[in-house]
Order: sequence, then C-alpha cells, then structure tokens
Amino acid sequence: MAVIEFIDYSMGFQAQDGSVHNLIDRLSMKVEEGRALGIVGESGCGKSMASLSVMRLLPHGAVVQGGQILFEGRDLLQLSEAKIGGIRGNKITMIFQEPMTALNPVLRVGFQIGEALRLHHPDMRRDEVERAVIEALDQVGIPQPRARIHQYPHEFSGGMRQRVMIAMAMINRPALLIADEPTTALDVTIQAQILDIMKQFKQSGGMVVVTHNLGVVAELCEEVVVMYAGCAVERGTVHAIFRHPRHPYTVGLMAAIPTLSSPKTPLKTIAGAVPAIMDFGVGCRFAQRCEHCQSICRTQRPPETWLDEAHVVQCWQACGAAKGDA
Amino acid sequence: MNQRENFARRFARSKSGMLGLIGVAIIVLAGLAAPLLARSPAGYSRDILLGPSAAHLLGTDNLGLDIGLEILWGARTSLYVSAVAVLISVGIGVPLGLVSGYSRSWVGETLDAAVDIFLTLPILPLMIIMAAIMGTSITNVALVIGLFSWPQLAKVCKNATLKISGMQYIEAAVCLGYSRGRILLHHVLRNITGPVLVNITLIMANSVLAESSLSFLGLGDPTAWSWGTILKRAWGNNAVINNPNPWWWWLAPSVCIIVFVVCFNMLGTAINDLLSPKTQA
Repeated sequence: MAVIEFIDYSMGFQAQDGSVHNLIDRLSMKVEEGRALGIVGESGCGKSMASLSVMRLLPHGAVVQGGQILFEGRDLLQLSEAKIGGIRGNKITMIFQEPMTALNPVLRVGFQIGEALRLHHPDMRRDEVERAVIEALDQVGIPQPRARIHQYPHEFSGGMRQRVMIAMAMINRPALLIADEPTTALDVTIQAQILDIMKQFKQSGGMVVVTHNLGVVAELCEEVVVMYAGCAVERGTVHAIFRHPRHPYTVGLMAAIPTLSSPKTPLKTIAGAVPAIMDFGVGCRFAQRCEHCQSICRTQRPPETWLDEAHVVQCWQACGAAKGDA
Repeated sequence: MNQRENFARRFARSKSGMLGLIGVAIIVLAGLAAPLLARSPAGYSRDILLGPSAAHLLGTDNLGLDIGLEILWGARTSLYVSAVAVLISVGIGVPLGLVSGYSRSWVGETLDAAVDIFLTLPILPLMIIMAAIMGTSITNVALVIGLFSWPQLAKVCKNATLKISGMQYIEAAVCLGYSRGRILLHHVLRNITGPVLVNITLIMANSVLAESSLSFLGLGDPTAWSWGTILKRAWGNNAVINNPNPWWWWLAPSVCIIVFVVCFNMLGTAINDLLSPKTQA
C-alpha cells in the first residue's frame, strides 16, 4: 500500500482581489513503503508547496483547490487540526535545508531531539527518553552521543547538525519522511555521508526528497517526479526517467549536468526562467521555453500520457499529438 | 551549562556590568536590610537643618528628620515601586508581545495597534490623572507606573518574537507537531530573554524616575519615605535656592536617584552587549 498518495491535488494562491492563481495543477504521485520519491525542478516550481501541503502547513494566502492527499488511507486535507497535530512530527516528519538555522540555539541538542518523543509519547519515562535520544544520535553516526546531548547546537558542525535533524525526524519512526533539500547546504563529502544515513532509514518507511540536485535523486530515490511551474511534467522510475527522458524540460535538465565523458563544449541551458504564477497561460506551462513548441502547446494543456507502466509524461510532443497539428 | 558559565565569566569581565551589578546589589541590600539597620524616621527632633555630622550622617531637614534614614527607607519604596511596575509590565507586555509577534491573524494586528496607541499617549499627564483618581498610596503609584510601562516591553517583545518566529527552527517545531503555546513558551520565549531582560532593567530605572517625579509633584504617598518626597519638601522649603544653602537636603536624594538609574541602565547595557550575537565569541 502506498504510504502517501496525491490524487489530482491542486492548490494556488489568493491574490489581493480575491482571485485565485493556480500553482500546483492536478498533481498525482505516490510513495510506496520502503521507497523514496524525488521531486525535482527549478526554484518556484511548487516542490516545497507540495511537501508543505502534506504537513498542512501552507503559508498565508495559499488555498487548496481540489484533490486528495491520502495518508494511510485517510485524506490529510480533511483531517481536523487536532488530528493533523498528532500526525505531524510523529507519523510524518520533515528535514530542513539549513542545518545551521533549523535547531533552536538556546536549547540543548538532547532536549530538542527528545521533545518530539515526549510530546507524542507522554507516558515515556525520562530515562527511556534519554536512552532513545542517545540511541538515535548513535544511529546517525554522532560520536560520544552521551556527552553530546548536553551540548548546544553551536557546538556542532553543519554536517553534525544535519545528522541531529535526521535523528530528530526519525526518532518517532515516522511512516513518511519529507526531506526538503537535505544536502544543499552541506559540502560534498558530508553530502555523501548524509545520503548514506538517509538510505538506511528508508527501510522503515517512505521518503519524499525535494531537491534540485539530480545526483541526490539518482543516489537515494527509486522514483522521481519532475515538476515545472506546478505541473508534474514527467514522472516514473529513476531508471526510466534518467535513461529515457521524454519531456523537453527533463531533457534540458539532464543536459545541463556535466559528466566526465561530456565533450568540452558549453553546457546546455534552458533559456528563460520559470514564468510567474500570473503568466502561466492556458496551454503547456513550459511552452514559452520549449524548443519543440507547437501551436497546440500554447492553447491546450497536454494530458498525462502513460508511455509504459513506469513512465508518465505531460507533453504533446511526447504523446505524438503535436505532429499531426504541425 | 557551558553557555551559562561562559556568560557569568564574560559578565564578570565587563567593567560597566559589574559596576552596575554592585550598585544594584548595594541598593537592593540596603532596601531589604533597612529595618535591621535603623528605625524608621518617625517623629520630629530638635535637630533642625543640621549639616552632616556623626549623629546625622546626611544631616537633617527643617522638621528635624534624619535625611540619611529617609533615604535608606526611601530605597525600599523605590524598589517596591519598580518591582511592582516590572511585574505588571512583564505580566501584560510579554504575553501581548509574544501573541502579537507570533500571530499572523487579525488578533496580532489588533494587539499591535493597541500597543501603538498606548505608546503615543503622553504618560505624565495621564499618570497625574490616574494618581488623582486612584488616590495617593504607594501601591497605587506603582500600579499606575506599571500600567504605563508595559507598552514598550510589549513592543520589544513583539519585535524579538517576529524575528525569532521567522527562524527555521520554529518552522521545524511546527512540523514536529508542537502546539502554539508550547512553541511560544519553550522555543520563542527562551530566545528573546535577552532583549526582554534589558528592557526590564530599563523599566526598573524609569519607574524610579517616574515615582520620584510623581512624588515631587505631590502625587506620591506623603506617608511613605521616598526620594522624590524628600526632594519635594526641599524644593517646597526653598532649600534649593536659599542662601546659605542646606545642600545636604537635596543633594543626597538626587544622587541616589541618579545612581539607581545609572546602575540599572549599566546593568541593562552590559546584559545587552553580552547577549547580542555580535559580541559573542
């Protein structure tokens, strides 16, 4: 059974005049237990909004326009505030991008890790909590956890803080872990260590990794969703998408990564930038930047096309309809 | 533990901070120990308008009251007034500041507007009106001062909360499922103790000034010993402009007020400097 499943989920932002501009358009995806889903795309594509939607922590002005987000068979969007409070930090947890600012500077590290445990398991004794905290720190590879729990965040390095964040997120054995750019702020060697730690935890539940780093996706995930301007333009297994990208945007993203074997020519870039939310237009949202753009692309939203059971794409060209039109 | 020890050590090294702390400690101890050190300055004596001597260390006034004793007992009044004022300000200002800084809804905006309105009010005339309506007991004076001191604390508290609530660890705390109250008390309040503490020392200093001003204007409690009351009587009896000048009458209480205010301000500044991340090693 899927840990979490988005079904035609749409959300947008309400403008001053009351009109709602759609951002995420009919997003469908799911995460199976023990697997990781990567969400990739440029800044402003709605990746973070998708993950905040799961936590029901959308910022002020954001409105849900439709669809469902199923978690353990229940629609998260319909749950009461009290029920969602019991899920947050307990069954669904989150790791943040900036380890330097995501820990409270005036509270001891051990206290902060234990807090989530104490809150969601009020019956646990103090020494049980402490033992669990030490064990959690040990699991993420922090040396001398017994001494470390009495220290403050400023006594930890960036990589260690990110480990603390992971320990904090994993201590309640969540069914779903959302990692929002978990390695962006770390240097490359530390990135690899953190990814290894996260891989270990994948066994116990599902994972959503929000990132713009395709390397992280290749390393950590089984499935991937490529988002562009709020649309899941292409999704499928990592294998399918990395080997046979079909959407021009995914192709562009892949071409923009340097490899050891690539010729010494300038890297390919995708001209232009993600349009603002008001300028999405009625057709394909990538049409303005697409080098294969046809007239139908500007007027009609491409449907989801299943290329095979592991690969879905939203593109007129990829589903073959554009050819006749041209 | 480390951080706190570190703070104490760095505080001990800050000259102005230690000076302020010593001054505050002397005033507090003197105020607390006044009943043990000396009888309250009751009744009148024949020693009228005597300069400082062995019998009357700081001289006497025109009624024969010992000014040194009055000042000693006046310290109790000042401390009592500032303590009550701080309690009221903290009781009103800190919760309001926390809520108005953290809440993004109309509640926060309404509270904020209320605080702004309170901040624009001219305090002295209102204090005079309040003191006149409520009567001139020392507790009333303290209440009035407290009721007018909280807006600035609320403002400081709100600004600090705004800054802290934008930090990622607050977002992380929300994601961990903590309730608003828990986040405010555990995660926000502990991060804003610095500015709040500094503001409390300023309120201590200001409330002594306000109490002295009210007493000087004759709105204090005539039965309580207060530095402002001594000054008022000195002024009323032309001691400040007379020649020959009974300088001991007005000088000592003025110096006491100045020392009290300066010591608390120095303490506040030192705490501020030590807590601000810029000076932290």
